[in-house]
Amino acid sequence: MSVRRIANVLHKEWLLMSRSPSNLLFVVVIPLVLVGQAVFLAWVLPRFLAVGVPTSGLAEGLSDVERFRALILDQFRLFVLIIPAMVANVFATLSIVEEKITRTLEPLLATPVRTWELLVGKILSGAVPAMTVTWASTGLFVLVAAGLGWGSLLGRVIGPAWYLAVFLLTPAISLLSFAVGVIGSSRARDAKEAQNLAVLVVLPLFVLIGVQVTGWVRFTAVWTLVLSGGLVVLDGLMIRLAVRVFARESILIGWR
Amino acid sequence: MIHAESLTRRFGDRVAVERLTFDVEAGEIVGLLGPNGAGKTTTIRMLAGMIAPSSGSARIGGYDPAESPERVHEIVGLLTEAPGFYDRLTAAENLAYFARFYGGLDVADAVDRSLERMGLADRRRDRVGTFSRGMKHRLALARALVHAPRVLLLDEPTAGLDPEAAHDLRALIVQLSGEGRTILLCTHNLAEAESLCRRIAVLRTKLVALATPDSLRGQRFGATIRIRLERDATPLVRAVGDLPFVESVHAELEGGRGLVVRLAEPDRNRPGLVSRIVELGGEIHEVVEDRKTLEDVYLELMKEEG
Repeated sequence: MSVRRIANVLHKEWLLMSRSPSNLLFVVVIPLVLVGQAVFLAWVLPRFLAVGVPTSGLAEGLSDVERFRALILDQFRLFVLIIPAMVANVFATLSIVEEKITRTLEPLLATPVRTWELLVGKILSGAVPAMTVTWASTGLFVLVAAGLGWGSLLGRVIGPAWYLAVFLLTPAISLLSFAVGVIGSSRARDAKEAQNLAVLVVLPLFVLIGVQVTGWVRFTAVWTLVLSGGLVVLDGLMIRLAVRVFARESILIGWR
Repeated sequence: MIHAESLTRRFGDRVAVERLTFDVEAGEIVGLLGPNGAGKTTTIRMLAGMIAPSSGSARIGGYDPAESPERVHEIVGLLTEAPGFYDRLTAAENLAYFARFYGGLDVADAVDRSLERMGLADRRRDRVGTFSRGMKHRLALARALVHAPRVLLLDEPTAGLDPEAAHDLRALIVQLSGEGRTILLCTHNLAEAESLCRRIAVLRTKLVALATPDSLRGQRFGATIRIRLERDATPLVRAVGDLPFVESVHAELEGGRGLVVRLAEPDRNRPGLVSRIVELGGEIHEVVEDRKTLEDVYLELMKEEG
């Protein structure tokens, strides 16, 4: 019954998402902007900053321009994590608040749906598309980079750390972003307040990217695995917390 | 079917519902009347297992809403005061979404039947955002009925509807009661309560009164019965006045051919009064009761409660 109920929430959320042109536009535009920005940086910045680029032994035997470009290509695996965080900021933060605004929450809570079924459905309904879009963006980035003749650089960059980032770190960040967004949404009194709370998820990501972009600290396969594992545990804790702080009574009574 | 025992709910220092005790029998429609803030919606929410009582208890179909809310949700249909929908989904998609949370339900069939019953079958593929307010109310009732609940908790079901839509909805409520569903109806519309409900509960944080509309009238005002007779009624005045349930009596009308009797518990005592007058040789042409409206009763109760 639980899986059916979670699938029911997912189905409804995706149906609503698919019928909102602005939602679709957002999901398509954000990845395109990020991919374009990363490609542009990889193409233009080395022309101005070719000297003394730290790459931590990433690309021995390459020219300075190529080393810088390889560094940016490598950053993309973390850079792209902004996508689920941003998508969560828009969708997850609205997930409960919107039900309050449209007055659908009370009839929904009058059904036998359990809190955890509803929240897991809400979290997955956003995290799965966010993850899919992130993977699609990564694929697009690789295609464009290869098309620009940087295939050999990609060959140096794409390895275990890259795959772990894409297939483990991305889902972990997606779930975390949406879990935090849903917590914000269930506690907030309006969408703006929920979005303000969810911004907190994006900030650590910028720190992560900032640390790696210096080139002095590089997230190797081991470090990516450790980080991802930690995040998976945190995901579980956040989903439990989301269920715990979803106070049906105060949501119903407090919302006018 | 519904039993509340000393049901109390406090929000901080404020008492929203205080020691509310009442029963609703299976198939009965009971109206819950009271001013804004009297605790009607809080009562409905406690009975529906949406919020827990601070003290006291309730049972719906044998289940305690505070202990087994999911069981209660299976057998209760709730119509909220301001029913909301997903405007970008069609009527059928909206109902199907809610229906899928219930176990053992053929969702497609339940949705079709519910829409058909509410006269919305031809709009099943239309997005709810295009619906009028009346249609949304009907759809809300369709949603409350989609799992064929035994108990319906209706919070202001006709609020904001045009007279025709409200009339249709009232007819439907009567029909649902006829099917054996138990209905607790919150309303501000006193005429609606009088026409639909077998009993009325007047709530002002505490239960002020609970009785049939006629009993409420009788308890507050007694009843004034005007009896038109063939001949002068003056000789009957003393004998009628001796009846234990007669509060006062006097003759009136031209030639004294009428009796005006104030009666306690009119529903029970009216036949006894008529029989006694016939025994005394009175030839009755007409018996008319001066009826106080439920509004009169309600306002009187509210005045007494301060």
